[in-house]
Amino acid sequence: MSGAERLTAGEAAVRLSAGTLTAERLVRDCLKRAQARAEVRAWAWLDPEQALAQARAVDRDGRPGLLKGVPVGVKDVIDTVDMPTQHGSPIYRGHRPFADAACVALIRAAGGVILGKTVTTEFANRHPRETVHPHNPQHTPGGSSSGSAAAVADFQVPVGLGTQTGGSTIRPAAFCGVIGYKPSFGEFSRVGIKMQCHNLDTLGVICRSLEDVALMRGVLLAQDPHPVDRRSAAPRIGFCRTPAWDHADPDTQALLERTASRLAAAGATMRDVAVTPNDILDHHRRIFQFEAARNYAYEYEMHGDKLSAALRDGLLTAGRTLPLSAYVDAIETAEAFRCNLDDLFCELDVLLAPSAVGEAPEGLASTGDARFNAIWTLAWTPCVTLPAGTGRKGLPLGIQLVGPRFRDEALLDSAAWVEARLQ
Amino acid sequence: MPSVEPNRLPATTLLQLIHDGELTAEAVVESCLARIAERDPVVRAWSHLASEEALARARELDKSGRKNLLHGVPFGLKDIFDTADMPTTYGSPIYVGCRPAADASAGALPRAAGGILLGKTVTTEFANRHPGPTTNPHDPNFSPGGSSSGSAAAVADFMVPLAIGTQTGGSVIRPAAYCGVVGFKPSFGLFPPAGMRINTETLDTVGIMARSVYDIALFRAAMTAIPHEPPAMPETTPRLGLCRGPHWDDAQPEGRAVLEAAADRLAAAGAGIREAELPPECAEADEVQRTLGSFEGLRNHMPELYRHEALLSLELREEKIAQGRRLSLDEFRRGCRNAERARAAAQVWAAGFDAILTLPAPGQAPRGLASTGSAVFNAVWTQLWMPCLTLPAGKGPNDLPVGIQLVGRRQGDARLLEVGLWVESRLDQESRP
Repeated sequence: MSGAERLTAGEAAVRLSAGTLTAERLVRDCLKRAQARAEVRAWAWLDPEQALAQARAVDRDGRPGLLKGVPVGVKDVIDTVDMPTQHGSPIYRGHRPFADAACVALIRAAGGVILGKTVTTEFANRHPRETVHPHNPQHTPGGSSSGSAAAVADFQVPVGLGTQTGGSTIRPAAFCGVIGYKPSFGEFSRVGIKMQCHNLDTLGVICRSLEDVALMRGVLLAQDPHPVDRRSAAPRIGFCRTPAWDHADPDTQALLERTASRLAAAGATMRDVAVTPNDILDHHRRIFQFEAARNYAYEYEMHGDKLSAALRDGLLTAGRTLPLSAYVDAIETAEAFRCNLDDLFCELDVLLAPSAVGEAPEGLASTGDARFNAIWTLAWTPCVTLPAGTGRKGLPLGIQLVGPRFRDEALLDSAAWVEARLQ
Repeated sequence: MPSVEPNRLPATTLLQLIHDGELTAEAVVESCLARIAERDPVVRAWSHLASEEALARARELDKSGRKNLLHGVPFGLKDIFDTADMPTTYGSPIYVGCRPAADASAGALPRAAGGILLGKTVTTEFANRHPGPTTNPHDPNFSPGGSSSGSAAAVADFMVPLAIGTQTGGSVIRPAAYCGVVGFKPSFGLFPPAGMRINTETLDTVGIMARSVYDIALFRAAMTAIPHEPPAMPETTPRLGLCRGPHWDDAQPEGRAVLEAAADRLAAAGAGIREAELPPECAEADEVQRTLGSFEGLRNHMPELYRHEALLSLELREEKIAQGRRLSLDEFRRGCRNAERARAAAQVWAAGFDAILTLPAPGQAPRGLASTGSAVFNAVWTQLWMPCLTLPAGKGPNDLPVGIQLVGRRQGDARLLEVGLWVESRLDQESRP
């Protein structure tokens, strides 16, 4: 017997405003689901009484709010004043920040309930933690926003916050079969989010409807939401296989080809496009290594023994030895790349690209490959992944839509057009 | 033992003396602490002083054989940066009692290089305008500038040879100029921002202060975690673009006089000096600066607005945050795009010079502590993400320091320091009797 936990944030908000649903009931149903499905291990911190107390306070408080009574899961690299923030690392075991992150305060100010903290890989990097794929516990849910993707997919919470430096929001959302959204770089505040790479880190949203993306944009930007237009004209789509195409599984390649044909048949203008330079992923890697090695200076210098070998030796030591000139070259190449994309988008509304290599890999040792995401993180462009069927193992596959920078609303409109034609 | 008290020596000299066994790190720290004890009741540069911990660290370093880049050199850190072992207030009463879990990278990297963190230096409220208690070390009736008030005053007053600040408008270059020290703001993003309280992400830049260009170069290497290559004196005289800028009429007479005199002296020493007007793409820089700061400011201050609004200063609430409420997302986006176009144009424009020569501030420091001065001579360079260096170059009517500013091409930081070395040497020669 399912309850309110199946509602999207937008559906719940309507019922909450109309008085046909209370925040307490909604939060209780989400908690019940989370407890029944504890084996997913999506939560780094979940205190039912604390969540219910917030819900009751919202029910008592008559003030309107965009998110009034809606529970949100917060990735554990994001500061919360009333819950531990442990960054997926033993270095921060039990750490309680002095203040909320800006995004958390914005959610609270909109009447949202912070349900709990969702599992992150170690410092939003690769070293995985305990979360399993909600459809098959033998598989990874993806990372680094593992818990947010798994919890949203499993109906434990309607919305989760993620972050993306390589592919940490889009990839787990695609693996878990939900919607993942990374905004234009620079729009969402990063106050109180653990800094990994200042030129890459982007706060994102994981949810189950495009309307919820628009709602969360309103909340996180402290603006009136811009509703998704579900009657927009057929978009001009660039089919971008990306320089990483050969790494995509046959399932993924077939899905993308099929989708491109179907959307063209449905009236979209479709043409193949390439992005340049071809070695753009190398430049992402250099920026990632150089900046992470310096932004994690405290952890590297003072607590190196508590870092995973993959992070310490693979990323941070590599970043320390990368010459400044190689980093500067990558920064300049990235800027030229963004200009190329601006030009490309003069004639296109959206790019169609893979969300990931394929289905979620088996086992929990690796959270998967970020190469189909890192390109767009470096590009600072808004991205959304939509669920688009399943692969050979019956696990979800996604398609990714990429829009021009600072035109996130138009991207969501195009995504709604595409979504309606995927069924 | 050197004849000069260690606290007066530059970092590069301290390192040599420690290396040669002429001086211990402990003696250096003791000397700095003695100066602070004597002078800080008036200068009030420090929001927290970790004397015992610094001495203990110095003794530890004296015992260890390993000599890192900053071995035994004391430094100060603006209280906008997190420290695991010291209070961190961001200049706001809201954060009294806050002890972060980790050091900001701007503290962790120099510490790992053997630097000794003496304490936290005073910042204005969240690195904005509302001033702290710091006074100008040359005359306590005048402002030290801000927002990196304590760092500039401490370096100028020989309390510490090196200190760290941040610049969103003019918060490194201006206080450095007002206090008569060397200030350096690198190209955007080159010093790691982790653990710095964000003001405006598209503008915030970590910067450093010292009393010589050589010390800036040394500290830059530690802050970037790159090998240190001391800047070489240029073999050819530099081509300088004299940029009076759109605010020339807002400059004080002493500011204009010092810049013109410096240009004349440098020309006499062989520099090529050409007039340089900013490209037209930069025309809206002041408006863009306000838009970016206010739009981000409202969202970035949501943790404080949600729980402690009354503890924010009235000026922060009524200016920046109120303006942030009036701005639309589209205005913010246009501001971001405008700044990007200006950066691209400036990068082409600046290629014609080895450095731009311009004002770091309107003139000498303002009287009183109510205002830390105007950032109109800094904001455009911050927004353009270009590296900036200020050098002391003269005196104002109250015998207070007046500086000049050199601006380099973006990512041309090492070249800017070489030009700075040349300019510094020529200004020094001329100012000696």
